[in-house]
Amino acid sequence: MSTSVEQVTGAGLRGPGSGEVAAFRNVSKSFGPVKAVNDISLTLHPGETVAFLGPNGAGKSTSIDMLLGLKDPDAGSITLFGGTPRQAIMDGRVGVMLQSGGLMPDVKVREMLKFASDIHPRGYDVEDVMKTAGITDIADRKVDKLSGGQEQRVRFALATVGDSDLIILDEPTTGMDVTARQAFWSVMRAQADAGRTVLFATHYLEEADSIADRVLVVHRGRLIADGTAAEIKARAGLRKIAFDLHPEDGVPDLGLLSRLPSLSGLDVSGHTVRIRSNDADATVAALYRAGFYPRGLEVTGVGLEQAFIAITGEQDAADESAALAKENAR
Amino acid sequence: MITLIKVEVLRILRNKRFLFFTLLYPVVMYLMFVSIWGNNAPAPGLSAKTYFMVSMATFGTVGAALSTAMRISLERKSGWTRQLRLTALPGWGYVTAKILASSAATLLAILAVFAAGIAEGVSLSATEWIGLVAAIWIGSFVFSALGVALGYSAAPDSVQPVMMVCYMLMAVLGGTWFPLTGTMQSIGQYTPVGLYNQLGKVIETGSTAQLSQVVGLAGYLVAFAALAAWLYQRDRKAA
Repeated sequence: MSTSVEQVTGAGLRGPGSGEVAAFRNVSKSFGPVKAVNDISLTLHPGETVAFLGPNGAGKSTSIDMLLGLKDPDAGSITLFGGTPRQAIMDGRVGVMLQSGGLMPDVKVREMLKFASDIHPRGYDVEDVMKTAGITDIADRKVDKLSGGQEQRVRFALATVGDSDLIILDEPTTGMDVTARQAFWSVMRAQADAGRTVLFATHYLEEADSIADRVLVVHRGRLIADGTAAEIKARAGLRKIAFDLHPEDGVPDLGLLSRLPSLSGLDVSGHTVRIRSNDADATVAALYRAGFYPRGLEVTGVGLEQAFIAITGEQDAADESAALAKENAR
Repeated sequence: MITLIKVEVLRILRNKRFLFFTLLYPVVMYLMFVSIWGNNAPAPGLSAKTYFMVSMATFGTVGAALSTAMRISLERKSGWTRQLRLTALPGWGYVTAKILASSAATLLAILAVFAAGIAEGVSLSATEWIGLVAAIWIGSFVFSALGVALGYSAAPDSVQPVMMVCYMLMAVLGGTWFPLTGTMQSIGQYTPVGLYNQLGKVIETGSTAQLSQVVGLAGYLVAFAALAAWLYQRDRKAA
């Protein structure tokens, strides 16, 4: 995807003919005065691993609930595999691990999974499922007697108990320690490599950054960015340029530096200059043209975390000015 | 579907508390009542042994059927019902499996008390036995419907006391513990358990089933099922 993020945000970027797994068309949902989901449109394509990224309360779970037909949108429409969510689920095309999803009480792990595999139209052999999820050792444990991390793995097994085309995971690594989280994602990657479409909600930026090939950023019910992690970082700004100006070259001319093109941040301390730029190539070229001789020049990308803060900050500022304009219009 | 019923029955049979309260408790109560009443007749034409055999069987079945409420309520709270909605299991499958599994339990409850009855020397013809089991078993579906409705009515903390109050009130008014007289009887005979107990008695006393009792129970069944359906829909929308 080489399209700019602005274009990507909004309606589907590829034509509907290329096969869509899921589509939101201008979907909104309110709970009382709160707009949990505000006019979201997006399309998921086969084989993608998509991170649904946003702080708590951004509208991730509500969107997923609607995608699964657990909640109905107030406005707009949602399709899963071209039909209703319920139909897709009945056809066994979706495996789901919900935050709020429970386990069957009073049974053993194996018994519950056997049941789930039996009702799945293309259920797998339970022993294989447990092996993949790494829960063979707790197969005979009662589901009510599992630790938090074990429970998550059992829930994951439940989501992958059959041959589903789309796997949806709502904050799957909540309650897992770092090792468990890494193990989890390596299993998950295998699912994606097998050609499945994976959609996962998370508020861990590093998960979105390292696992997803597409990141959807939701904030206050709106989809504010949609692209690869790299694109989102680019959208937020950006690259960091750092260098020293040698004392022999004289005191850095702040005026000159601040007139460099594509600048979004400038910090000079002593002889060290730190720049944030929207277009590092242009900035660096202009730096040399202006007669500077930067030493130890470093150009690095910002992390997704900073990008995320930058984007949501932009959005908040835009919201505020819109609210202000509304206020003034009265 | 079948597989869910199998698992549900398995879960019921594994639940020791459930087995105690629905199977053992009515049997113990029955033996106690029989020893208290001895050969006194609680009602004209009925021996204590037969009277309490029926009322303790219904006591067991109503308890078993209503306990569905607790299960549904707990599974709603834990999110299991939500997870199930994300499987290929049809929406009605869960409730149907719950009702069928509880009907397997009610059958056990009936047989347990009847076995105690036989041990106490109750003797009926084969047709009477079969008719009695069938009547009580079929009648228990009225309470299964009520159990489902209660299960969808509230959270487990509230369902538990509501269920117990319903259970005890219906049992007293229905003449489960002792035969009713006067005003109590005139009210009690129209309550669900009252009609249910009479259904059993009709077969014991050899008279034909009164249409009014069957109609009355059918009416309760429709009402409870409608209530259950409404609460179920409400729950799905809220989920």
